[in-house]
Amino acid sequence: MIPLQIFLTALIYSFILSLLAMGFTLQYITLNVPNLAYSSIAFFCTYLPLTFLIAKFSPYTSLPFAFILGGAISFLLFKFLKLLRERGMSLVGLMMATIVFDLVIYACMNIYAEHLSRNLQIYAASFSLTTYDFKVFGLPGILFVSAGVCISLIMLFTLLLLKTRFGIAMRAAVENYALASTHGVDVDRVLAIAWFFVGGIAGVSGALYPLWFSMDPWVGARMFITIFAACVVGGIKSIYGSILGGALIAFSEIFLCYFFSFSFPWIWSYRAVISMIVAAISIVIMPHGIAGYVSRVRERRLVKI
Amino acid sequence: MMEILLDIIIFFCIYAIITLSLNIQHGYTGIFNLGLYLPILVGAIITASIPGRLAMLIYGIDSKLDFSYNNATVIDILRSKLANDPLTSIILLIITMLITITVCYVLGYLVAHPALRLPADYLALFMLCLSESMRVIGMQTDWLTGGVFGIQVINPFWWLGRYSYYGFSIFVVATALCIILIVNKISISPVGRLLKAIRENELAAESIGKDTNGIKKQCISLAFIILGLAGVLHAFWMGAVVAGGYTRVDFSYWPWLMMIMGGAGNNMGTLFGTLILVLIRRVMIISKHTFSFLPFSVVWLEPILLAIMLGIILTFRPEGILPERSRSITDYMRKILKLQ
Repeated sequence: MIPLQIFLTALIYSFILSLLAMGFTLQYITLNVPNLAYSSIAFFCTYLPLTFLIAKFSPYTSLPFAFILGGAISFLLFKFLKLLRERGMSLVGLMMATIVFDLVIYACMNIYAEHLSRNLQIYAASFSLTTYDFKVFGLPGILFVSAGVCISLIMLFTLLLLKTRFGIAMRAAVENYALASTHGVDVDRVLAIAWFFVGGIAGVSGALYPLWFSMDPWVGARMFITIFAACVVGGIKSIYGSILGGALIAFSEIFLCYFFSFSFPWIWSYRAVISMIVAAISIVIMPHGIAGYVSRVRERRLVKI
Repeated sequence: MMEILLDIIIFFCIYAIITLSLNIQHGYTGIFNLGLYLPILVGAIITASIPGRLAMLIYGIDSKLDFSYNNATVIDILRSKLANDPLTSIILLIITMLITITVCYVLGYLVAHPALRLPADYLALFMLCLSESMRVIGMQTDWLTGGVFGIQVINPFWWLGRYSYYGFSIFVVATALCIILIVNKISISPVGRLLKAIRENELAAESIGKDTNGIKKQCISLAFIILGLAGVLHAFWMGAVVAGGYTRVDFSYWPWLMMIMGGAGNNMGTLFGTLILVLIRRVMIISKHTFSFLPFSVVWLEPILLAIMLGIILTFRPEGILPERSRSITDYMRKILKLQ
């Protein structure tokens, strides 16, 4: 029997990770550039709930601000990448450009943590806000909030993509940038909004994180492994695959650690490595992830019909 | 002053080894590897765990003492033993390097197998994540690297007494020179041209019967060996290994900036970029007290500075200061026919 605490951890982790993986994939398919600053953008926003708590507000009130902050940083990064792309920069150069943002955010995060420790005597180099969470029927509020945020954002995104003119324009821009422009779509505006939206999702996911997990300035680097693993398992370039990949990696990470911890109690320290092992196995067995496997099965069925 | 100069030379040598291996991978072959610190960390971990334990076996030091958990005591005993035993010290150094070469070669080959199935950008991320995983392993495994607090390593030049610092410096410079010569030789040989052909057009190289995937695997393995040796030299030079200190910023992003700044695909350019940035970094570290006016720790100025420089170079001079010289067919003909 799995203890409730473990099950809750896996569930909350899967909601947060699914959102993060979805955002990473979406940013990747829009510009064809993996954003190395993505997890730093997300985990920079974890300091917002702490700041709101210091100002005597509920950590949850920081969520809209986290959305705006994450979105704004992501928007700036998009503008920088666009500028470099117009100058004919290669993929390597564009990825290096995302590193520029990653470094600045990493430094700013540490400077802010240092400021909180030095001036406000709050040990911000490692913190968790679990004790400040509310309870519903004895269950932590973060469970309901993370589930609500995850499901509503995925639904909102699906509606946006399938039922609105903006969604159609975005799909067109992703499929064929040049063709969409010739059909009168303001591609850059569409992509800029998409990047803002995705940055916002990252910000919200990051802001939810310290309400259940322990946070430090290095979490971004560690979580990048897990986000990447989720995207690989789900299927590179597949948005819904990455959501599924996020849930799978979260559950496998927590449950594998739990079951193995009976024989190897030290295994919890290597949690991030487990997701990387799962990703490496997935690359060997299913190079295109779950989404690739599903599409192949569909194709086979169609051929049979 | 002499110590500062030596410090700059040593760091230049170590980073030159790292950036040249990066140049082989990216500059010549077009492999986008962001996880340079995986083999560096492996080299450092081997240095942290093997020579000390071997020395304990050789000298029959009390088996109740553990190299990792009683590190300070063991190192103290080994210092007194190795100070009078140059032969064992040199053998330990050679064994460490040979083990690193073997392990890194195998690791490179194993890693390249799944990595080369991925598109270029995901390969970079895969390597980065593998390196970060190795860092997590290093930080959490107390018996291997002393965990978060790190572990002291032996100095194979203790037998030189107060000149051990200079002895090791000469060894690092000699190793770096050897690697520079080898890399240079490779880059101007037919192998170098084959690597460039793969970079320029993989399909065309395949169509003339070259096993591009196999060559890429060999290339990654060779780069892993060179990087592993850089890790060994770094660990011996620092006198200790703290796995947490092997970060993506120090051992992956900085070398990338060095290569881009100097010019990818050009060994001289890469070395020039390395020299400039090592000088800037060391001067910044040495004169950090002059940055006391900053409202935050100067440690965080380094990534900001790196980001600014990277941003400027990418925007205004993405091909680097000394870009790769593209040769026309006439140049090749002249070279072949030895014409002026």
